[in-house]
Amino acid sequence: MGGNPAENHPISFKYLLKAKQNGGKIVSVDPRFTRSSSQADVYAPLRSGTDIAFLGGMINYAIQNDMIHKDYVVSYTNASFIVEDTFSYEDGLFSGYDAEKRKYDQKQWKYKTDAEGKTVVDKTLQNPRCVYQLMKKHFERYTVEKVCEVTGTPQDKYIEVAKTFCATADPKKAGTIMYAMGTTQHTVGTQNVRSFAILQLLLGNIGVPGGGVQALRGESNVQGSTDFGLLFGNLTGYIEVPQAVAEQASLEKFLGVVTPKLGYWVNKPKFLVSFLKAMYGKSATKDNEFGFQFLPKIDPKDYSHIALFENMYAGNLDGAFLWGTNPVVGGPNALVEKQALGKLKWMVAVDLWETESSSFWQKEAGSNPEDIQTEVFFLPACSSYEKEGTVSNSGRWMQYRWQAIKPKGDSKADLEIVHMLARRLKEAYKGSTKPEDKPFQAMTWEFGEHDHPDIDLVAKEINGYDTVTGKLVAKFPDLKDDGTTSSGNWIYCGFYPEEGKNLSQRRDNKDTGMSNFLNWSFSWPVNRRILYNRASCDPSGKPYNEKNAIIWWDESAKAWGGYDVPDFNKLLAPSDEGGATAFMMTGTTKGNLFAPRNEGPFPEHYEPFESPVQNAFSSQQINPAIKIWDGDHNPRGNSEKFPIVATTYRMSEHWQSGAMTRNTPWLAELVPHMLIEISEELAKDKGIKDKDKVKISSARGEIEAYAVVTKRFKPYTILGKTVHQIGMIWHFGYKGIVTGASANNLTPHIGDANTNIPEYKAFLCDVRRA
Amino acid sequence: MEKMIKFVDVTLCDGCRGCMVACKNWNDLPIEIEEFHGVQSHANVTANTWNVITYTEVERKDGGLDWLFRHASCLHCKEASCEKVCSEDAISHSKYDTVVVDEDKCVGCGYCVEYCPFDVIQLKTLKDGLVEKRKAYKCTMCIDRLDQGLQPACATACHAGSIVYGNKEELLAKAETRLQDVKDRFPNANIYNPKGVGGTNTVYLLADKPSVYGLPESPKVPTSAVVWKDYAQPLGKALLGVTTMAVVGAAISNAINNKGDGGHGHE
Ligand code: SF4
Ligand code: SF4
Repeated sequence: MGGNPAENHPISFKYLLKAKQNGGKIVSVDPRFTRSSSQADVYAPLRSGTDIAFLGGMINYAIQNDMIHKDYVVSYTNASFIVEDTFSYEDGLFSGYDAEKRKYDQKQWKYKTDAEGKTVVDKTLQNPRCVYQLMKKHFERYTVEKVCEVTGTPQDKYIEVAKTFCATADPKKAGTIMYAMGTTQHTVGTQNVRSFAILQLLLGNIGVPGGGVQALRGESNVQGSTDFGLLFGNLTGYIEVPQAVAEQASLEKFLGVVTPKLGYWVNKPKFLVSFLKAMYGKSATKDNEFGFQFLPKIDPKDYSHIALFENMYAGNLDGAFLWGTNPVVGGPNALVEKQALGKLKWMVAVDLWETESSSFWQKEAGSNPEDIQTEVFFLPACSSYEKEGTVSNSGRWMQYRWQAIKPKGDSKADLEIVHMLARRLKEAYKGSTKPEDKPFQAMTWEFGEHDHPDIDLVAKEINGYDTVTGKLVAKFPDLKDDGTTSSGNWIYCGFYPEEGKNLSQRRDNKDTGMSNFLNWSFSWPVNRRILYNRASCDPSGKPYNEKNAIIWWDESAKAWGGYDVPDFNKLLAPSDEGGATAFMMTGTTKGNLFAPRNEGPFPEHYEPFESPVQNAFSSQQINPAIKIWDGDHNPRGNSEKFPIVATTYRMSEHWQSGAMTRNTPWLAELVPHMLIEISEELAKDKGIKDKDKVKISSARGEIEAYAVVTKRFKPYTILGKTVHQIGMIWHFGYKGIVTGASANNLTPHIGDANTNIPEYKAFLCDVRRA
Repeated sequence: MEKMIKFVDVTLCDGCRGCMVACKNWNDLPIEIEEFHGVQSHANVTANTWNVITYTEVERKDGGLDWLFRHASCLHCKEASCEKVCSEDAISHSKYDTVVVDEDKCVGCGYCVEYCPFDVIQLKTLKDGLVEKRKAYKCTMCIDRLDQGLQPACATACHAGSIVYGNKEELLAKAETRLQDVKDRFPNANIYNPKGVGGTNTVYLLADKPSVYGLPESPKVPTSAVVWKDYAQPLGKALLGVTTMAVVGAAISNAINNKGDGGHGHE
């Protein structure tokens, strides 16, 4: 659901096909019948943007039909926590909402604590103020009838999906959910994923082999990039970026704010100080807060993609680096993003080919070069096969790759480009006495004295050193907050535990038990393959499913044994204090059914920013906490003018904005034309025949494409009215061997309330014959 | 020598087209950007595109939908019409029981194209300076890989296990088991290894009737092809010598065609 692994993650699909041959069942939930659906045992359609309704209904179904893993829920989730009386929900809003600011006061959603500050719990789950009862009540409204009215799913199909999946509440069974951008790219993206998490916790499917919520990453190394702080709000290893606010003005204050009281994150100060030591070396001392003040602080503003481009469009940015990104094709409201690039003073594009973005100023892009003052630099990058380094997959395995061929021409590895830039900038700032140049001077950059960096030194810096002895740190529990250790990224600490032993280079493909292959590469943290695997055993340490046991408490050895690295202290007995808690990183040590996010602690269905219907669940039409980016450049379409729901997606043959695949002949020929998919019924209404050229318009623009008239899209009946949906690929632009119109000329600037990921997956359009 | 076949279990295929890319990559074939056909990239296999994934939507009786994919390529017939009608002996069976074209011998007459019951083999025009030559091309089952002990490129690329190359007996047995496995889901499933062409070296497990996939239900080696290879050609060779056979061949097959046999084994 929200992913199409057969088309977009085919290697993951290989294992689904194997599971199916072993008697497993594949369920496919998607607005259109995909190549994944073709292999599914059950397929159910839903209208784009109604995932919370669909999943809320499944949560309700599981609870009402007693299809939950009770022991797991009581032992390992926060179901028993009592919530303060200030928390409430009514008609689409939780308590504490400020309509003016479109913001919640999350202090109203706290747990009740006793005199000692401990959370009050009711293990019988009967207290009406416990999380379980509040959740039950919240989702009671999500009946099968109501849900199907909103999603457009046929009721029999819906019940089949719910039955099939909820059957995994049986401790002897496991179910996994594989999702991708079909889940996240919505104004409720975060809560879509939260719905998965709640369902999986109720079914006892987290921390067990074959379970989990799998984020199918959109690029081979997205996992690695977020691990390494690519997201604007994160430093490496998911430590928060400090904000420029008084409460976070010093290292101590900052750590006070971001360090939870429970679980493994209590060690955050050790990880952050070790990170600062890796950043600033000798310039990071106890006296200067280990260089905390050198770190750039963000003001609480938003630095996400849409926010940056809105600012660029308003003329607030001088320059930009486009590093392997092609917003003129891939960005939402792409025509506006193209114009925004023209307001920069300078722009550097680093890419394998000249893309639509690096040449946004050209005539073919629809620009008039004379009018554009932006100075554009293009740096040719080499491909992954032309360099060495690591790629981290969705299973968190960091796998080393060696260079296969030498780079073409002057193209360079990204690391080389950063290295050359950093060395020249350090040289340029060397003599400066300006205070704002201090951080750059303090930053260590010790990866060799040549333009080609010594990648082994980079790897070791990531792992970390004992700064006194100069030895590599063996594992992150050894990191300290007194400046005697460094680590560029604590979660990877231990992948290079001693000289000559880069564990990401391991390629031992012997199965070490339960298909864990523990000697193949390195999986963070500490080579653990299944996170939270403590939850695969009951509180006494006995596996819920003996047949698929992965770890267990061995009383005679007084230690945990098994086929994986246990997710906690190996010697901590189930009877010890904390020995029966499974979720070390969630702040509560429990799987959080109730978890405050910007729009609430429980998911609630809201319609997409552009929707053909009124929200049937409440009078709140859209997510009350999203930021609205208004202005003439970002008009909102209505269903009178644009009655058809549209979504965008990828096909196996092309990748992302197509910058690579439209330049790769054997891939380009497989899907050489821009296309949309449309139902036979809508085609008939509009007089469109299969293979006709059509025009698709939204409030933002109009594009041309070929129509695939297909049985794989069907009109939905939503609240008694017929609603059509079409789908389109977003791989095309005007450069490359094959060219075509860009779907993102149609999508709006609107994003999720927590991440601001754009809502590419549900917007309104109209379609007609060209 | 161990008897090997290629087994294509279309019920496992997820239509990723990795096999198409692997084929072009190994055989170094140029791209062919065709007009818009929908999801399918090429209307049919060609002399430059030796395998094509076909996409077919079928509504099921229960209201459900099947989206059927087939890796379409040369079947490597035991009784290969293309081989039988080739007047130049350019087409033959290799030691792997596969059908291969000898480029040097091929004169580009196009009979094989005319007679292949599956519309597989095709001609392409090669330019050598001012000289233009037509030659027939199709899947070779990657004979140059087999020679090195490798698998055909498509089989190596297929992540789904839909294309496998291996021991004939074992794979034919596997085909039977798989047929039983999928019967519930696909009541029309069948093993496609047509007798009319003596069986094929590429054996399919199809999810639906052959015609749904654009395959002839019971293909035959056209009578004219049999007449040519098994009777006329030996006779002609004896009388005239090898080099002029194409001319004789043309006369004979035209004569046969005009009699209304039509040649093609399509139903
Ligand atoms: S399928 Fe056609 S080209 Fe292939 S061997 Fe048979 S007759 Fe020849
Ligand atoms: S590689 Fe395998 S799964 Fe992919 S299209 Fe070819 S036969 Fe199907």
